[in-house]
Amino acid sequence: MDTAAPGGGNSGRKVIVRVKRRPGTREEAHWEEFALDWRPHMNIIICLRDIAERPVTRDGHATTPVSYEANCLEEVCGACAMLINGVSRQACSTLVDSLEQPIRIEPLTKFPVVRDLVVDRSIMFENLKRMKCWVPLDGTYDLGPGPRIAPEVQEKYYPLSRCITCGNCLEVCPQVNENSDFVGAAILSQVRLFNAHPTGAMHMKERLAAVMGPGGVADCANAQNCVEVCPKQIPLTESIAEVNRQAIRQAVLGWLLG
Amino acid sequence: MSDSLETHEHDVLVIGAGGAGLRAAIEALAQGSSVGVICKSLLGKAHTVMAEGGIAAAMSNVDAADDWRTHFRDTMRGGKFLNNWRMAQLHAQEAPDRVRELEQWGALFDRTQDGRILQRAFGGHTFKRLCHVGDRTGLEMIRTLQDRGVQMGFDVYMECTVVRLLKDGERVAGALAYWREQGRFVLFRAKAIVLATGGIGKVYRVTSNSWEYTGDGMAAAYEAGAELMDMEFVQFHPTGMVWPPGVQGILVTEAVRGEGGVLRNRLGERFMEKYDPKKMELSTRDVVARAIYTEVREGRGTEHGGAFLDISQKPAEYVKRKLPSMYHQFKELADVDITKEPMEVGPTCHYMMGGIRVEAETAQSSLPGLFAAGEAAAGLHGANRLGGNSLSDLLVFGRRAGLAAAQYAKSAKSPSIAANDAEAAQREALAPFERSEGENPYTLHRDLQVTMQDLVGIFRVREDLEKALGELEKMKERGKGISVEGSRLFNPGWHLALELKSMLTVSEAVTRAAMMRQESRGAHSRIDFPNTEAAWGRKNIIVKREGSTMALREEPVAEMPEELKKILAEEK
Repeated sequence: MDTAAPGGGNSGRKVIVRVKRRPGTREEAHWEEFALDWRPHMNIIICLRDIAERPVTRDGHATTPVSYEANCLEEVCGACAMLINGVSRQACSTLVDSLEQPIRIEPLTKFPVVRDLVVDRSIMFENLKRMKCWVPLDGTYDLGPGPRIAPEVQEKYYPLSRCITCGNCLEVCPQVNENSDFVGAAILSQVRLFNAHPTGAMHMKERLAAVMGPGGVADCANAQNCVEVCPKQIPLTESIAEVNRQAIRQAVLGWLLG
Repeated sequence: MSDSLETHEHDVLVIGAGGAGLRAAIEALAQGSSVGVICKSLLGKAHTVMAEGGIAAAMSNVDAADDWRTHFRDTMRGGKFLNNWRMAQLHAQEAPDRVRELEQWGALFDRTQDGRILQRAFGGHTFKRLCHVGDRTGLEMIRTLQDRGVQMGFDVYMECTVVRLLKDGERVAGALAYWREQGRFVLFRAKAIVLATGGIGKVYRVTSNSWEYTGDGMAAAYEAGAELMDMEFVQFHPTGMVWPPGVQGILVTEAVRGEGGVLRNRLGERFMEKYDPKKMELSTRDVVARAIYTEVREGRGTEHGGAFLDISQKPAEYVKRKLPSMYHQFKELADVDITKEPMEVGPTCHYMMGGIRVEAETAQSSLPGLFAAGEAAAGLHGANRLGGNSLSDLLVFGRRAGLAAAQYAKSAKSPSIAANDAEAAQREALAPFERSEGENPYTLHRDLQVTMQDLVGIFRVREDLEKALGELEKMKERGKGISVEGSRLFNPGWHLALELKSMLTVSEAVTRAAMMRQESRGAHSRIDFPNTEAAWGRKNIIVKREGSTMALREEPVAEMPEELKKILAEEK
């Protein structure tokens, strides 16, 4: 890890970073400030690595390394979502030089904090289950040649499968809060993707029944923040609208057919 | 200690949650086993998500002439015939079914005009064979497997790292791990274990691998007494970013040179003139790699040990149009504008062909009850891996490992774990806290990376390898003196100290095997033995722990049945 600024044009310039620390789920949060050596091309992950390697605050007190999630560092895994200067985004693609200092780094607020910047996003997996985002085939029959799907159809749904389950869309959604169990945009978009899939479509009915239940599509209040913040530019509002149409259609048909 | 030790019990414990681990877990669940999955990071974020190219499978959707035989032959040729031929055969035969299955589970592949799964051409594959989802096939695989696994109901232990495998006599019985956040230990009891822990990239200074790739599974298997194989075969891509840190290791596609990128050394010389004056930068991969290596070795490398690759002489609009993802990636991740400034490139460690020696049909290692699949296992790729063959590897052998582990667990009795084994593992893991004034793990890691990159990298020579072994011996001693400060609560320095033990083990295995193989074959290039030797083509190198020493031996490659020999002899 080349983090210690070996010859990287270090000019005595500092990057001032304030991190919201929380030792554990039930403990109080506090802020710590760090002064890191500035180098060209720094992003937020580099800052957090610098702190991990030398956990000393700006005023010289030894502290513990800041906990954070990160993995691919290429913005394809979604692990490093956090609030940076109040904006919900990925740390690996947030450049230091594009930010006002001191840089404020906080954990996402819509998920339980585990420690420091680490939050528990397992609710997203639970919501995938609630909305039946999978294809319940048991693999015991002949696979055959597979379904035909027109390239235009695949291209239409391709953007939806870019989801990296980062949680940014939940973070900025006013409907996701302590009093609601709204599953959020990412999951509804996955519902749309599974409904569009040839084998997934076979279970569309059950999926839509779940979508019409608690925490489903009716909880969306159309704030449209999700689509603004998605790092993968997934057309989330379009997905929600389509799932909503599918649900209404199913409800009306169900009512008409008794 | 063990009284309060958190304990979980499963029929099958899968360590690693990338493509191979998830596919193994799904298969074991389908067999009715109780399954636990341990991941070092978060579910769905494993290194597999970074795979771009595609899944190699002879589906014959685009090229009707393709079939498993051709895929088998391509794989064996790519691996310079050192592959486990049975694995290569199973892989080629089963990959199409694994792809169809993935599609049925919800993956949405790119399509042909008539609606079938589209396949693209890739280096070393005779036919258009790679099923893909844009340039993010790995993410699609993980998303699909994760959605399925979550619904089927495995227990996932996230941010948990295994430090030692525990045994009951000769068979594997469980694993001791710790929670990364809290630093507490946790014991897993299991009838069977599947290691799907990926590769070793982090022993190198420049690697395209994620931080998780520290060879933990291979080292744990080695410590437990399992055999490793083909450790000398490490695949490098000749041009990865060596600087800045935000993009270090990321591959720079050959298209940059194709579009007019120029290579220069520190002195500004366009050095390809010396190595291939005709083709210059468009020379073959190995010549370019060798040229950069030579420039760096002779002291004309850049500050960070690479060469400059410059495409800024082309109009900015042209570069952005021709290399859009490359332009955006470097701009977004590190504010490097390739239309304005040169890139600093050098060899980047990309893939490990070697690993845990397994039996082809069952993926079982030389230890009963211990299975391995994916990059952690050896055999399929031989001396070099073809692009696209790793994602198919994960599916084919992930499934086989999960199936065989479940079957093993059904017939096996519950093993017992001696309390003092678990205690000893904990004491050892905590030792860095006991020492004060010891060495900082970051310094040792940096030194290890420099040694491996410079001396056991893309080109090897006896004097370098000897020097590396000497350094590694010293580093092993230094490793025993590492101290870490602070508490066990999320302490990356401590995590690194534990991972260093694994990294030192696999580094030694790579270096010793590289020294032993006195020829050049596939990804193993010896400057002092530039030829491929037929005699070496009939031998694998096996690494096994004998007491506290690492023992290496040659083992003959199994004789191939006549029908497969015939396939290899066919010219296509």
